[in-house]
Amino acid sequence: MHPLERLVNLVALLLEARKPLTFEQIRDKLEGYEDSNLASAKRKFERDKDILRDIGVPIDLAPTDAWDVEEGYLIRKEKYYLPEISFTPEEISALFVAARSVGEGEDGSAEQGARKLLAGADGGIITGVSSGPLVAGGDVPGVLLIAAAEAALQQRSVRFGYRTARGAPSERLVDAYGLVYRSGHWYLVGLDREREEIRAFRLSRVTDGPDVTGEGSAPPDDFRAGAHVQAGPWGAGEPEERARVAFAPEVAWWATSGVPAADVLGARDDGWVEALVPAGPGDDLASWVLSFGPDVEAVEPDWLRAEVVARLEAARAD
Amino acid sequence: MPTEDVRSQKGAKASERLRRLLVIVPYLVQHQGCEVAEVARLFDIDEKDLVADLHLLFMTGLPPYGPGDLIGVELEDGRVWVDMADHFSRPLQLTRTEALSLYLRGTALAAAPGLQEAPALASALGKLRDELGPEALGGPPERVEAATDERPAETLDALRRAVADSERVEIEYYAASTAETTTRRVDPEEVFFAIGNWYVAAWDHLSGEERLFRADRVHLITPTGERFQPRELAGAGRPLYTPGEGDVPVRLLLGAGARWVAEYYETSSETDRDDGAIEVVLPAGRLEWVARLVLRLGDEVTVLDPPGLKDRVRELASRTLERYE
Repeated sequence: MHPLERLVNLVALLLEARKPLTFEQIRDKLEGYEDSNLASAKRKFERDKDILRDIGVPIDLAPTDAWDVEEGYLIRKEKYYLPEISFTPEEISALFVAARSVGEGEDGSAEQGARKLLAGADGGIITGVSSGPLVAGGDVPGVLLIAAAEAALQQRSVRFGYRTARGAPSERLVDAYGLVYRSGHWYLVGLDREREEIRAFRLSRVTDGPDVTGEGSAPPDDFRAGAHVQAGPWGAGEPEERARVAFAPEVAWWATSGVPAADVLGARDDGWVEALVPAGPGDDLASWVLSFGPDVEAVEPDWLRAEVVARLEAARAD
Repeated sequence: MPTEDVRSQKGAKASERLRRLLVIVPYLVQHQGCEVAEVARLFDIDEKDLVADLHLLFMTGLPPYGPGDLIGVELEDGRVWVDMADHFSRPLQLTRTEALSLYLRGTALAAAPGLQEAPALASALGKLRDELGPEALGGPPERVEAATDERPAETLDALRRAVADSERVEIEYYAASTAETTTRRVDPEEVFFAIGNWYVAAWDHLSGEERLFRADRVHLITPTGERFQPRELAGAGRPLYTPGEGDVPVRLLLGAGARWVAEYYETSSETDRDDGAIEVVLPAGRLEWVARLVLRLGDEVTVLDPPGLKDRVRELASRTLERYE
């Protein structure tokens, strides 16, 4: 008898059993464990059980009767079966597009998950299954992403190694509150226990871990993870005022589209396009302006203009 | 019973085949009479392997395993019907890792601006949240979120249409590497989203090679009406920057505040220094973008090589200063 046949029968038997079955009862009903030696049959059954648990089949051990004399195995239907969820072909296709995104250390789990949902697909053509990936270059290994997500979802306290944006290595102990995706990167947001502040940590800078150290604290009532991951094209900061910036006609269309909160004011007589962009003292707006070379001019406020000019003069004299 | 079919997969581990069967059988039960080829496509499995699994399936069932207790599988005209498989009429629940991987990837993709699948994806994720619930995901799903504040590239839909139809298009493109806008004919083969941006992989008739274009820098797109034969470009599978023959190694010393450059650009070497600075070598086809990068980084960067780059930066600074005089 093929091992697969025995495994399929074992799942069916335990799913349909009205009460927990002892190994002896299983051996009695099911072909495949009839080895003359009881110990070797039992070992075979243990291996099968490991295989089933490994692929996610929930096998429980429970008393066979009210007197707790014996324990037996069963698969609880409510734990085994995927709830009935129906999907339109478009929804399933979209999930496949997401599942097939190419990432570092991809192990196929997302695709396996999507396939389980296919049973609930309404009739219609499902695309996305075989087309090329639409998304590439996730910058963190799947294991790290899953570990961070579990910490946030289960409100755990975690310890991990972290390299700051400035390159300094550090170790952090953080009560995980949430997970945020922004502009191509995943961030773990939580309470940094040493600094006693809510901080966002870019997962691609996590050097080892995260290791769960225990239960974490609850986030404040008005907590929103996304609010802690703010980034303009020139870096993080709290915008306090708006700067007026002029763009050469060639670059205006895409430069302004790269700034989420930009208000395009319109074209000047010389064809240059003026826009208002958020600016704050913590920002490195001058750097962003300089990255366009002669194609962008900082018009207002004066401090921004002065900073840009000072840095240009320094570069010219270098 | 065609036992050779069963044996043909001896290499495939029984656990893998079981994993597959517990997912495929419920699909077959719910979609009676579906085409074997379609099932093979959906589950990414060889038709031969699928048929072998099905042959094995109808030797299974429930005690006492009499003829009436075994799963019935009927294969006819390339279609398949399954009965007596009530116990497998619904698939196995997603594992925590499967549910999370799918949910996280979906959440990230849904944040891609201008995605035409966005509405369908949003409702699919909503169903996962509501129906799978905190139990499958491990906690309240609202703790995972994606920020969507970027603007879509306006040309994205037109680019995806051109890819789908294999149509040659003319684009007006702003290249950051040269800070120039060019008009070129391209054969776009693939559109994909990577690290916050949409890209199109295309054969570029201007340079006579495969190029990646950032969709948000494609200003205008004009259909030519001509079709092209896809060249099976590497597309999303390749690095975002491909070294060219004319590349010059640019050696920079980056201060702590400029370390992001090493993360953001493809480097051919990185050497850490004790003071938190890092020495990198970037291969660059053009110096224009490097000069702008140096200008942007200010005193966080020191140019080590090539010597001509310093002159370029000085010249760029004077040219830019003219705006302020």
